Amino acid sequence: MSDFIQKLKDTFIKDDRWKYLTNGLLNTIIITIAAAVLGLIIGFVVAMIRSTHDKTGKLKIGNFFCRIYLTVIRGTPMVVQLLIMYFVIFKTLSSKYKIIVAVLSFGINSGAYVAEIVRSGIMSIDNGQFEAGSSLGLSYRKTMFYIILPQAFKNVLPALANEVIVLLKETSVAGYIGMEDLTKGGDIIRAATYEAFLPLLAVAAVYLIMVIILTSLVGKLERRLAKNDRR
Amino acid sequence: MTAAKEQARKVHPEHLENLITVNDLHKSFGDLHILKGINTAIKQGEKVVIIGPSGSGKSTFLRCLNLLERPTSGQIILDGVDLLTLNEKGVNFMRQSMGMVFQHFNLFPHLTIKKNITLAPVKLGILTEAEANNKAEELLEKVGLYDKIDSYPSQLSGGQKQRIAIVRSLAMNPEVMLFDEPTSALDPEMVGEVLQLMKQLAESGMTMIVVTHEMGFAREVASRVMFMDDGQILEEAPPAEFFANPKNERTKLFLSKVLI
Repeated sequence: MSDFIQKLKDTFIKDDRWKYLTNGLLNTIIITIAAAVLGLIIGFVVAMIRSTHDKTGKLKIGNFFCRIYLTVIRGTPMVVQLLIMYFVIFKTLSSKYKIIVAVLSFGINSGAYVAEIVRSGIMSIDNGQFEAGSSLGLSYRKTMFYIILPQAFKNVLPALANEVIVLLKETSVAGYIGMEDLTKGGDIIRAATYEAFLPLLAVAAVYLIMVIILTSLVGKLERRLAKNDRR
Repeated sequence: MTAAKEQARKVHPEHLENLITVNDLHKSFGDLHILKGINTAIKQGEKVVIIGPSGSGKSTFLRCLNLLERPTSGQIILDGVDLLTLNEKGVNFMRQSMGMVFQHFNLFPHLTIKKNITLAPVKLGILTEAEANNKAEELLEKVGLYDKIDSYPSQLSGGQKQRIAIVRSLAMNPEVMLFDEPTSALDPEMVGEVLQLMKQLAESGMTMIVVTHEMGFAREVASRVMFMDDGQILEEAPPAEFFANPKNERTKLFLSKVLI
């Protein structure tokens, strides 16, 4: 028992090692939130272009570029995208700004998945809703914003929440470009103490707690939205 | 009055006596030729009931009138304006004066009944929020659904939904109302309340074009019955004459099957 307490002390207390975890957690949260916002914006724009093309046949060129984006991003591993972003595209950038590179990489990656989620939500709305909007004289844009998107958003909310959860966990590869996120923090402790079990367990527990909190927040939001169509 | 409408009006002044004139209207879906040259004219206040076997093109014709389906060729002239020459903005504008009621109601499930009715007039800047609310209350009072004003569509019966859909169109003050099989998706005991409302609407002088299988409604309300088959209008006549003395062989065959 005293052996275990000694290990705990060595792992977390000695040399203020717990700071690796808290600083890492802060970076993980910053990257996740910023990348999620960026991903939502990119995904929303791409989904609008793609579904407008599917529904009306317009925006052919925009749709073409969106499809290339989706194919490349979804067809290559996240880690490779991150490395290319850091070592090729931004190789002249000072390493001070690597958190920006991380946000960009994760945001652009997440955007591709968000785009397809939002698009599937739009396409799942009965065409009669578009027709009803049109027949009242509403433009395509007004029909989209006031009639289709509110319904589509509600339908895809669980999938979007899932994407944020995936994103949160995916940021654990940020260590590949030397970003000190939560995972990297645990790894630094492991390397310093030659003790793998405790730091990695702590890292896993923190991720798990964050995911559980996220899931319950989304559940609350879903229940609030569901009030609109009580049966 | 938009400039486009003004300009187009000059082009077709000869059609102004009719609210809607349709000239040689064709519609194909790929190789499938659905409408094969429709010619007709509809005057202000007329109630035209279109009947015919399924696949005859009657719904497609109706949906071409407000360009939910883009005709392949021909002319649709509303108020002297050829709709097929209008750009997207012009089409949206003209649709404001053509209400449409769908077989499956197509109410907006995420909005209350009040919002369903007021959304279009408010967002299009035709009425202020307060005016639209007054209008919604007034119309709901008239159709006896005032107590549903804050309900959601999923809380209504089919017949109630369809009456709300009619009210939603009326809130735009349309010049003409298009009905695409408005009672076909309803339980039998709910058909009556919808037909009753349509009858009231007809008596108020609204121009109506109705695709339906309700022969009783056609007989009672129509000023003209139109029989379509194979993408063409084969016969059109006032209901008394149409039902008592059909001239076309295919009309006779159709009526002999549906009226027994």
